[in-house]
Amino acid sequence: LSSFGKLRLPFVQRTAGDDRVVAGVCSGVARALDVDATFVRLTFAFLAFVSGAGIVAYLGAWALLPSPDEAQLGRRRHVSGLLLLVWAGILTLGGVGLANSLVWPLALVAAGVVLLSGRTFGLSEKRARLVAFVLIVVGIVIFAGNNTRGTASTLLAPGSVAVALLLVLAPWAWQLARERERADLAARVHDSVLQTLTLIQKDPADARRLARRQERELRSWLYPDRASAAEGTLADAVESAAAEIEELHGVRVDVVRTGNAPLDERTRALVLAAREAMANAARHSGSEEVSVFLDAGEEGISLYVRDRGAGFDLTAVAADRRGLAESIRGRMERVGGIARIESAPGAGTDVELGLRA
Amino acid sequence: MSRAVRRVVLVDDHDLFRAGVRAGLEKTVEVVGEAGSVADAVPLIKDLDPDVVLLDVHLPDGGGHAVIMQVAQERPGVKFLALSVSDAAEDVIVVIRAGARGYVTKAISGQELTDAVHRVADGDAVFSPRLAGFVLDAFRGGETTADPELDQLTPREREVLQLIARGYRYKEIAARLHLSARTVESHVSAVLRKLQLSSRHELTRWAAERRLI
Repeated sequence: LSSFGKLRLPFVQRTAGDDRVVAGVCSGVARALDVDATFVRLTFAFLAFVSGAGIVAYLGAWALLPSPDEAQLGRRRHVSGLLLLVWAGILTLGGVGLANSLVWPLALVAAGVVLLSGRTFGLSEKRARLVAFVLIVVGIVIFAGNNTRGTASTLLAPGSVAVALLLVLAPWAWQLARERERADLAARVHDSVLQTLTLIQKDPADARRLARRQERELRSWLYPDRASAAEGTLADAVESAAAEIEELHGVRVDVVRTGNAPLDERTRALVLAAREAMANAARHSGSEEVSVFLDAGEEGISLYVRDRGAGFDLTAVAADRRGLAESIRGRMERVGGIARIESAPGAGTDVELGLRA
Repeated sequence: MSRAVRRVVLVDDHDLFRAGVRAGLEKTVEVVGEAGSVADAVPLIKDLDPDVVLLDVHLPDGGGHAVIMQVAQERPGVKFLALSVSDAAEDVIVVIRAGARGYVTKAISGQELTDAVHRVADGDAVFSPRLAGFVLDAFRGGETTADPELDQLTPREREVLQLIARGYRYKEIAARLHLSARTVESHVSAVLRKLQLSSRHELTRWAAERRLI
């Protein structure tokens, strides 16, 4: 009658996603408790200073908590995890100032009580009861032997202060973390969403631009590393340029991307040329939507700016339209890239910008 | 071109959004039922047996894929089209893999949505530019590793997807590549099939690499 299964914490898993730092223990615990992962990490860090208990506890939790793709833990991992956690507990009690003469008997008695409470760790019930009895007796004997002349104050004074402090402060810190989260959400909704709704009521003509800006801001806040590319990369720069054009001209600029590349002199020129192409589409095409596709692969980088608007006759473009000639073609050619522009009256415009790897 | 009226069920938890979609759809699409949750949607769809279900990716009691999985077995004729504000590739890939015939973002115009409904009802696939981007991303890794688990895209399929990602419509793609509209449709359907049949392992790896899960 093994009780190992019972000891598993079914709701706590290590995490594997981007919020994991080492093994996902802290973020897993945080998720189960529904608190900020930083709070859990600080707790482990604080315990690490308490004679290293935090480190041992972390290792124990690592062994004991399944990662999302593990269905069942091995018996050996289970036992070693438990032992590490017990060790961490002992270290903590010692670390906050409880004398060894108190900690060890306490640990022995606690183990005995656990055995008596029905968790037999694979032992037969009879034998478990016997072991429990021995553990408790030995614990009491050690305690008595060490402390016959000790007084309560020498045993408890420094430790009790630390424990009391922890008990008082922990719920408060927890509360604080949760309240900060709520306040953050309220502030975000107030600053952006409510303001935008008020503005739209005052000036409905601007509704599209305001709504689009709001949408973009909320998205980048809700999905910080899904929706937007890593800062300082090509994709990020293209997305910012698209956002600027939307903001300036009130058209929708949809960016689709596959792959990414670092920003350097050449890709910066590409972004500027693309921005110019987007601005042209927004200003002259009359289309309310501009499509941008960035394809950054090993062979090179292609960027397309497409509108379905008025289009124009390429041969009839006045020589003084510097936008096309200089800002797009010239810019690409200077960094060894190409710019191809397709357009015809009524058929929209398609600009292709390319950089070879 | 006269088209048969298609019967559609709308599944989205926002009343306001459902009203907007209903108002935007053209006469050739009739909304016969609406639901705001997985629990309401499943019996409703089984009961009404519509041509197409417009399905939000996120629902309060589960995802859009839960609806597909509970309905598809009993009502194989019902087609699903995912409709979402989500930008996250994993949300989209999950419903596509569950069997949705396409994915469009909620910013789509009423006319385009009407077109998309007809296309899905006719058994074709509907790729928005964003979905095309996700799919190109998913198959990109295979170029170099040539993983046999993931059926590769043919050069033509890749070309079609790239044009979709660039914002081209099917008709424009056909003209540009000198193909018939039917051929473009069949390329897109083939890509959808590859996406749905590719091994679970492969897509999981893809998602994990992009830190999506």
